[in-house]
Formats: sequence, structure tokens, C-alpha cells
Amino acid sequence: MNILVLVKQVPDPEALVEIAASGRDLNIEPKFSINLFDEFALEEALRIKEKHGGKVKVISLGGPKTIEALRTAIAMGADEAVLIEDEAFAASDGYNTALVLSKALEKEVFDVILTGRQAIDADRGEVPQMIAQFLGLPHVGVVVKLDISDGKATAESSLEGAKEIIEVGLPAVFTAQKGLNEPRVPLITGVMKAMKVQIPKVSVEDLGLTRDMAVPESSKTRIVRYLPPKKRPAVQLIPGEPREAAAEAVRLLADVERVI
Amino acid sequence: MDFSLTTEQKFFREQVSRSLQRIVAPLADSIDKSDVFPRDMFNELGSLGYYGIRYPTEIGGMGADCIMFTILAEELARASIGFAAIVTMQCLMGTDFIYRFGTEAQKERLLIPAIKGGKIGTIAFTEPDCGSDLGGIRTRAVKNDTGYVLTGRKLWITDGDVADFVTVAATTDPGKRLGGIGFFLVEKGTPGFSVGQKIEKISARGAATMELIFDECQVSADSLMGEEGKGTKYLNDILSEIRIMIAGLGLGLAKSAFVSGLRYAREREAFGKPIGTFQLIEEKIAEMEVRIRAAEFLTYHAAWLKDQGSLTGKEAAVAKFYSTETACFVVDEVSRIHGAYGLAEEYPAQRYFRDGRFLLFGGGTSEILKTIIAKDTMKKCDFEIN
Amino acid sequence: MDFAFTEEQQFFKRIITDTVDRMVVPKAREIDEKDEFPWELWKDFTKLGYLGLRYPEEIGGMNADPVTAMIFYEQIARGSVGFAQSVIMNILMGTYFVYRFGSQAIKERCLYPAMRGEKVATMCFTEDQSGSDLSATRTTAVKDGNEWVINGTKMWITNGPVADFATVLATTDLSLGAKGLNFFLVEKGTPGFSPGQVLDKLGCRGTITGELVFDNVRIPEENLLGAELNKGIEYLGEILDEVRVMTGAMAMGIAQAAYDEGLEYARKRIAFGKPIGSYQLIRAKFADMATEMEASRLLIYSAAWKMKEKLPSRIEAAMAKMFATETCCKVVDEVTRIWGANAFANEYNPQRHFRDARFLLYGGGTHEILKDFMGRLLIGK
Repeated sequence: MNILVLVKQVPDPEALVEIAASGRDLNIEPKFSINLFDEFALEEALRIKEKHGGKVKVISLGGPKTIEALRTAIAMGADEAVLIEDEAFAASDGYNTALVLSKALEKEVFDVILTGRQAIDADRGEVPQMIAQFLGLPHVGVVVKLDISDGKATAESSLEGAKEIIEVGLPAVFTAQKGLNEPRVPLITGVMKAMKVQIPKVSVEDLGLTRDMAVPESSKTRIVRYLPPKKRPAVQLIPGEPREAAAEAVRLLADVERVI
Repeated sequence: MDFSLTTEQKFFREQVSRSLQRIVAPLADSIDKSDVFPRDMFNELGSLGYYGIRYPTEIGGMGADCIMFTILAEELARASIGFAAIVTMQCLMGTDFIYRFGTEAQKERLLIPAIKGGKIGTIAFTEPDCGSDLGGIRTRAVKNDTGYVLTGRKLWITDGDVADFVTVAATTDPGKRLGGIGFFLVEKGTPGFSVGQKIEKISARGAATMELIFDECQVSADSLMGEEGKGTKYLNDILSEIRIMIAGLGLGLAKSAFVSGLRYAREREAFGKPIGTFQLIEEKIAEMEVRIRAAEFLTYHAAWLKDQGSLTGKEAAVAKFYSTETACFVVDEVSRIHGAYGLAEEYPAQRYFRDGRFLLFGGGTSEILKTIIAKDTMKKCDFEIN
Repeated sequence: MDFAFTEEQQFFKRIITDTVDRMVVPKAREIDEKDEFPWELWKDFTKLGYLGLRYPEEIGGMNADPVTAMIFYEQIARGSVGFAQSVIMNILMGTYFVYRFGSQAIKERCLYPAMRGEKVATMCFTEDQSGSDLSATRTTAVKDGNEWVINGTKMWITNGPVADFATVLATTDLSLGAKGLNFFLVEKGTPGFSPGQVLDKLGCRGTITGELVFDNVRIPEENLLGAELNKGIEYLGEILDEVRVMTGAMAMGIAQAAYDEGLEYARKRIAFGKPIGSYQLIRAKFADMATEMEASRLLIYSAAWKMKEKLPSRIEAAMAKMFATETCCKVVDEVTRIWGANAFANEYNPQRHFRDARFLLYGGGTHEILKDFMGRLLIGK
């Protein structure tokens, strides 16, 4: 089995984010980590390999620092990694990201493409579907369970308040949702391997694309402005008798705050 | 300048020390381990009349002065910090409001027995979000026909689990901050008043620190101690005394820890000699002793000023700050002198080390006290030659 | 002068930091409260292979250089001191002399399983009457035919009661003082070798510290861990610097854990209408703590670098240990002050860091001993 995992290096969830004076840019504290949902994807890939044999290859689009995310993937057990290094494309929109990654994937042999359902910085969740479209592949999203056998896969998708069970032929694109698995902690042998490994880099030109495709003017979407989120009041008092107040509290938590 | 204790004070110290070393000191470790209120010991000391030390003899007290109260605090701390915390609360903060403002009936029912240890009193002002900033307390006291309704939560209340009556700080006017605070007497068993969680802690164990919950607790009009909005002033009236008392606690802890370190330095040998003969240990001993002596002077000088009627807030703050920091310095050095045995539960060094923490904020954190001292000095300093 | 970690070291630091955050930090409080050897965490963590940190790749180790090792020691201590001590004992002190001098059979029986976490190792120096003064060691080793007979009682032995094998410091000749000291391997199950009293401790809870009793324990000749007789103190010198710098690294781990707690509290706790972090006295505390921690780390990593380059590092290692430890004790003290009363509540972490830091004051040498020793070296007798 050849399993391809697409990962993105994103700002650490604890990194401080500020809107720049121009309103069109963000100042983000330079702390990075591998996108959480991509970790689930990578873990799943490793499990598939352990069960069916094969190889796990990890691809990422990013700047030079993205090498770290790929090293982490190797430490966890991926066999190979490659960085498509281009800051302009990495900073561009989802369409361009999908375009670049698809061009890279065209050159690969694979049975399964796994990636996270969304990146925790942009939160758009659009790249995997576009990749599937570009490559003419089926796509199953928000997967919480994945079984592979005989050239096809059975995936369980978690929807809001329901489950969808989908059977699909391989190759296909799957996006990982939280709950799919618990990502492993790297063994020291993995760490040692990752510390020494040379990760090949590829440029967008190598993939037949040109730099000017990534500039804002020729992108399909463009960031107009960033606005800070509304500041929530510190305390919301729920009035009423205990019974009604409790019911209202549950309603707020489930439907408004969506924490239960 | 006569720096010696009077004959009466010396005698008092001897008596107190002997009693506490006999009754309390041997049980200090078990009080610390179990973290259970030492009821028998408390009753025994109560029957000896200590808890009325500050109150007039007419009501069963001892009518003692500040110096004697400080001596008591010091000797209590020498025996057990946990027990000292309980007793000093009983002698001062836990009973003083009812002494000053209680009705005759309240005094009969609560203060007189408390003096003999029959009832336990405590004070409650700290809240979960409010320690140093007393003006920010949120426990509300709303006036109604019968008296007041109290609503709020208190935290870190010494003896909250066993107290028979609590003097509670609540605000009748939050907007006025410090100017809206009043103190209310609440007795155990009053509907709406309940004891919540116990805070498990590493310091001053034996004196349980509890959460107290006031859920629309109705109290009578005469529960108000004094007048509405005057609470801060009433507290300030005893604040210096509280600080001197805590300075006394610091002295007691410092001395008991110091002696244990000294004994260890005399007995423990390395490289063929007692470790106390090596210069670096000598240095520690000297540094500790000098600081303890300085703390002693500052503490008793403040107590003496109080008895003379010329104490200012600053001297009390100085005494508390210096004595408690000294105690923390000493318990650190003593634990180092003990080497690995500073870690062993079977030696008291680790208990002294943990107990030091408790002294750092009761009565004001060192940071707050430093700003108080500086603000006062900025206005006027007696070092200045006009 | 390149003060940065190499890219490899930076990567290693990220991974180990993340691993500790995920596996160790969530268990730290429980380990402290229960004060039992955390077997489950031990099993899970040792599977990752870190116990071979310092040994060659050929035998399954990582062959980490001293700088990388310090990164590890700092992070594991940041997670949980109780757990860290057990891990580090297996990584270094408890296995080093076996690695260095043990026969192949001994290595197969003790070293390799210890590297896999299948056996717990320990090192026995201290006795009731001898801590700083090793020459006062009274545990004896007497040659009888082709066996050594060990007699004595060791005290304060980390994980002594649960250890599968111990490296024991014993003297072949009481009159020789420090010059008669040797290391011997004693394995669990050897008749006469038994655990004694277990100590309850203020900090570093989670390691089982106690007495080990040697009552006419007979061990084969090859259990003498040394190429020559009576060279124990010299051999100890081989890892002394690392043990000291390592103690400094652990101090930084504890300090960092405490510092982070202090930071969070200073930002969130409101008094007089503002976060307490807005007040000068609190700000000053952070300035002092951060400065001293930075200085400590530079001393630690520079000493480790010297060790890596095989340059003399005896004084530097002692400096790093002392300075980092004093810094850590200051940091854990200040953090408890920042936290106010909440500092001594069991449900929060500052009190645990405050208690845990104390062992640093004597582990690797008390500061009084180190200062005397350093002063002597610097002044030149």
C-alpha cells in the first residue's frame, strides 16, 4: 500500500496572534507545530501501513521552517517526506495550495491520500476536496473510522447528529476528524532517524507552475481585511428558578456555545 | 533603654513555654500529618485560660498587654504552627469583634465560653478572587426587616470546619469598596450558612482552611458588629496587633527551626568533625542568629510601642515583614544544614520549611507591606534631620 | 561563538518537550500524591527508548552528546521530578559502571534490560553516617576465594527497594579511607541483600527511597566493577561532571515548570482592579527569575559543551550545578509568593515544585562542599 499524507505546518495554538496595522495581515508569534488534524491523518496512515504493509510518504507545502513538521512526521514513523518550498504559494489561497499539491501528487503512485479535515489556522477545510477534484478522485470527509481491504475502503463520516458510512474504491482522498485515533508519541529510534534525515525539497517550477500564479492579484480569493472577534462578556447570568435556569443553561451550552 | 522583659513577663514566658512544650510540642508532627483539629489540646489549653489573654479579667480573661500576647504567639509557634494559627485566631481575630461590638447576650453565649475554649471563633474576609484587595470583596449583606441577608463565598477560613461562630466581612455597598464593608456575626447552624470544601495544603496543617458558603443567609439586625460601612476602620484598629502577633509567630518558627539546625550541626559529623565547625556552616549559623535577634527586637519593640500607645502602622508592618522573611530564611538554611535529612518526613526540618510559607501572606504579603512602609516613609521619615 | 543549539538539537528538544507534555505532565500530580513507583507510566515511557540515551547505538542506545542529554534531563524533570529521578538513574548513575566495567554476561543480564526499562537500576553510595564524606563509608567488601563478601547498610537509595540491580560503593580497607573504595554489582535475589526501611519524603515523591541491607552478601569476582582495585573514586570522577551538570539541568526543568505557573497566575489574578502582573514588585520578580534562569542555562550548556569537546569541565560543572540550583530555589520561592495563599494548596502545582526543588541542594554535592572544593581549586591550595 502506498499511503500519501498531506500535512501543513501551522502556528502553535498557544502562539499570540495580532492584527497588523494595515488590517490585511496578521502578526503571529513564530511558534509552529504540525496541524492537529494532519496528525490524526498521519497516525491513521501509519496504522494502515502496520496492518497492510507498504509505505507512508508525507508531503507539505510551506516555507523553509516547514521542514520541522516533516521531520516530526518521520520521527513518528513516516518512510519518506518531501517539502514543496515556496513561501508565496504557501501564503496564497486554498485553490493555489490544492493546485500545487495536486501537481506533486500527479507524479506519485498511491492507494490512499490522507490529510486533516482542516488546518487550524485558516480553518477553511477546502483543500482536500479541491485536490480530489483536480485528480479526479473520490473524497470522503470528516472520517472517524477507516477500514481498508481489497482495493476499497469503508469510512465512517461524522456529521452533526448523525453518522454516514461510505464504501469507496481506491485510490481516494480521506480527511481525518478528531476521534479517528490517538496520535503516537515518537520512539527514540524515530527521533534519531528524523534528526539525521535529509528531506528533499522541490520548487513550484519543478511542478510546472510559475511564481506569479500565487500573487494576490491572480489568486481566486483574496484577504480583504481581518477583524478581531467580538469580545464576549465575562459572565452571563441565567435568571429564573433552578429548573428553568438549568434547562436554559443546557440549551446555551449545546446550541449556542456548542461545547456539549 | 531597658531592653529586658519585666519579671512578670519573664515568668509568663517560662510558664507558657513549659506548658506548650509539654502539651503541644510532642504532638506537632502528628497534627501536621493528620491535619485534624487537635480538639483535646485545644480544650486543655482553653481550660488554662489562654484564649482570653487580651480580654479583661472581669470576663475571665487575663488582661495582658501586647508584649505578653506576642510572647504567647511566639511560644505557640515554637511548639506547632498549625496549633498556633488556631489559638491566635481564637485570641484575636475570631473573637475581637464580638468583644468590641457584641450584645450582652451574644457575649454570654459565645465570647465567655470562647475564652475557655468552649466555643471556637473565626474571621472570614478572604474570598476566592480577593485576598490583598479587601475592598473588592463580593459577599453581599442586604438589609431587610429582620436584619440582613448574606450571600457569597469565603475561602481560606481558618477553622471554618469547627467554628461555632464566624465574623464575616460583607459589603452593604459594593460601589464604596472599602467604605461599604461591615462585619456580621454568623453562628453555626444558621440556615443558609454552610461549610464547603477543605483546602488541602502543605503549610500550617492542623488549622483547616475552609470554604464557607452564604446562600441567602438571614441574620438578625444585631449580627451587625458596630455600624455599616465601618468594617475597614474596625479591622484597621486591630490590624497592627495582628501583624505584631504574626511577627511573633515568625519568631517562634525561626527559633525552633534554628535550634534544630544548631543541634544537627553539633552532632552530625563529616570528615571527622561536627559540620558546625566548618566555616560555611558557621556562616549560616551566624546569619540566622543575627537575623533572629534583629527580628526579636523589631517585634517586641513594636509590641512595646503598642502598650505605650504610640504604635504606628509602619512599625507593625516592619515587624511582620522582617520577622516572617527571617523565618523563611532560617527554615531554608536549616533544611540545607540537614542535607538529605531536610527532606525526610521523620525530621521536623521539612515541617518548618513548609510552615514558613503560611507566614508570608497572613496579615499582608511582603510585597504589600513593603509598599505600605515606603508610602509612609515617603510622607515622613524620622531619620531626617530637619 | 555560536550560542544556538544545532538544528538536530532543536528538533530533539521539540520532540522531547512534546512527549513530556503528553505523557508525563498529566501524571505529575498523581505521582506526587500517591508516592508510589509509577509502573504504568514507566512501561509506556521506557518503550520509547530514551533509557538508552547515553549508550552507543550498537547496543541500542542513542549515543547522545552531553548537550543533547542535558536537553533531555531538563525536560523530563520539568514533567515530574519523581519520575525523572527514576528515569535518569537508569540512564546514567545506575548503569554507567555496569556499562563501563561489566562483563558481557553482566551486560546482558543487567545493562540491556535496564536500557529497555525491563529492569530498574540504582546506585548506592550514601550511608547513615556518610553523605558528603565518602571516606566515612563503612560498607565493606572482603575477598573470600573467588567471591566478594559485602556487609553494610546503605541509606537514601533512590528506588533501592524496587531495584533489580545496584552498583554499591564499598571499601576493601577501612583504614584507606577514600582510597579503598570500589564499585560492586549486587543483583536482586542475592541472599543477604534486602531492602530496609522506606523513607517518606517532602519532595521527589514517586521514587521509592530507602535503606538497603547487605548481610554477608556473596557476589562473584566479576561483580567488581572496575579494571583495577581501589580506584572507585577515580572512576566516579568519570561521570561526576555529568551528574553535576545534569542536576543543574533538572533544576532548570523544575524552575521552568514553576516559572510558567507564575506567569499564568500573574496574568490572570486580579487585585485592586488590575492583574497583579501590572505591579512593579511582581514584574521585578519575573525580571530576576528570567535573568537568572538564562544565566543558569548558559552555564549548563556551556559546561555540557566543554564535556562534549572533552575539555576540562570540573569547575564549570560545579558552577553550573550550584548556580542553577540556587536559581531554581529562588524561582520556586518567588512563584509561591506570587501565588499567595493558593501556593500552598495541594490542588495546585507551585507547592510541589517548592518541595521538589530541595533535593537539588545536595544531589551532586552540597553547595558548601562544592564551594570549598571550587575555592581550593581556584586559589590553588
